[in-house]
Amino acid sequence: MTDRRRTFVGLAGLGLAVALISVGPGHAQDPGLDAWQGIYAVFSHPRCANCHVEDARPRWSGAHYGKTRVHGMNVQRGADGLGNPGLRCTTCHQEENAAQLHGPPGAPAWHLAPAEMAWWQKSSKEICEQVKDPARNGNRTLEEIAVHVRDDDLVGWGWAPGKGREPAPGSAEETYRLLQQWSAAGAPCPAE
Amino acid sequence: MKLNVNGREHEIDVEPEMPLLWALRDALDIRGPKFGCGIAQCGACTVFIDGAPVRSCSVTVGEVSGAVTTIEGLAADGRLHPVQQAWIDEQVAQCGYCQAGQIMTAVALLQAVPEPTDEDIDNAMSGNLCRCGTYPRIRAAIKRAASATAGA
Repeated sequence: MTDRRRTFVGLAGLGLAVALISVGPGHAQDPGLDAWQGIYAVFSHPRCANCHVEDARPRWSGAHYGKTRVHGMNVQRGADGLGNPGLRCTTCHQEENAAQLHGPPGAPAWHLAPAEMAWWQKSSKEICEQVKDPARNGNRTLEEIAVHVRDDDLVGWGWAPGKGREPAPGSAEETYRLLQQWSAAGAPCPAE
Repeated sequence: MKLNVNGREHEIDVEPEMPLLWALRDALDIRGPKFGCGIAQCGACTVFIDGAPVRSCSVTVGEVSGAVTTIEGLAADGRLHPVQQAWIDEQVAQCGYCQAGQIMTAVALLQAVPEPTDEDIDNAMSGNLCRCGTYPRIRAAIKRAASATAGA
C-alpha cells in the first residue's frame, strides 16, 4: 500500500468513527432518545437515586459527606417502605425541611421507593426499561408517571431540597414535558 | 397556640417556628424530653405525636396537629408503663440522659412488634444513642417488658 493510499484509508476510518460518535447517546438523532437523556439526568441524580435503592438502605451524598454512604442510624426500608417499627422515616423527616443547620430534610410522606424501582447505580438502559415496565413502575402508564413526577410532593422536593443540598437538574415541569416527549416518540431506550 | 400534651390541652404563647422540644421544656416545663444534638441525630428528645415516635427537636410546634405524649404521659392509673418498670428492674440507666428517648422508642417498638428479636430491637433503637453504652441492658429491658406484657 502506498503512503497516499494509507493516508486515504486512515482518513476514511476517522470519518466513520466521527460519524458513529455523532449518533451516540449524547447526540441522538432520535428525539425520543434525546428526551430520555434529560429524564435519565434527573432520575440518576443522587437527589432522586439515593432513595431509589435496590437494597434496604437509603444513601447519603453531598459535598460534606465525601463519598456516597449508607444512611446513618441503621435506617432501613422496613416492610412498608416507611422505615422499621420504632424508627420510621417520619420519626425524623417531617413535612418540611428542619430549619437547623444539618437538620433532617422534610417533605410530605417521606419514604423509600419500592425496591423494584431501583435507580441507584443502574445504567440508563436499566432505568429506562424499569420505568416502562408496569410490573416495576407501580402499574402506571407513561402519562401517569409523568403526572406523578410533576405533581408528587416528595418527588418535587428533589428540585427544591433546601439550602446546602444540590437540586436535581431542571424542574418538575420540564421533566414532565420530557416524559411526554419521550412517550410520544415511542419511549425508546438507549443501548446501554 | 393550642397543644395537647399527655391528655391535657395547653394554650401557649410561642412562635410556630419554635421546635416542639423547646415548647415542651421551656413553655410547658415538661422536662422529660432532653436536648441532645438538636438535629434528630441522637434520639434524646423523642416523643409521640398521635402515637408515632418523633424527634421533637426537629418538628416545629406549628407543624404539630396531633396529641403529644412525653415520657411523663406513659404511666397510667398510678402504675409505671411496663417498659419503665423493666428499665428499673434491669437498672438500665447510667447517666440517664438519653433514657427518656430510649424508653419512648422502645414503647413504640413493642406496640408494633410485641415480641421483638434482637434484630428488631437493633433496627428500632439504632437512632437512639447512649454515650454510656448501656445497650446490652436496653436490650434486656425491652425483652423483659415484652415478657411482662405477654404475661399480662
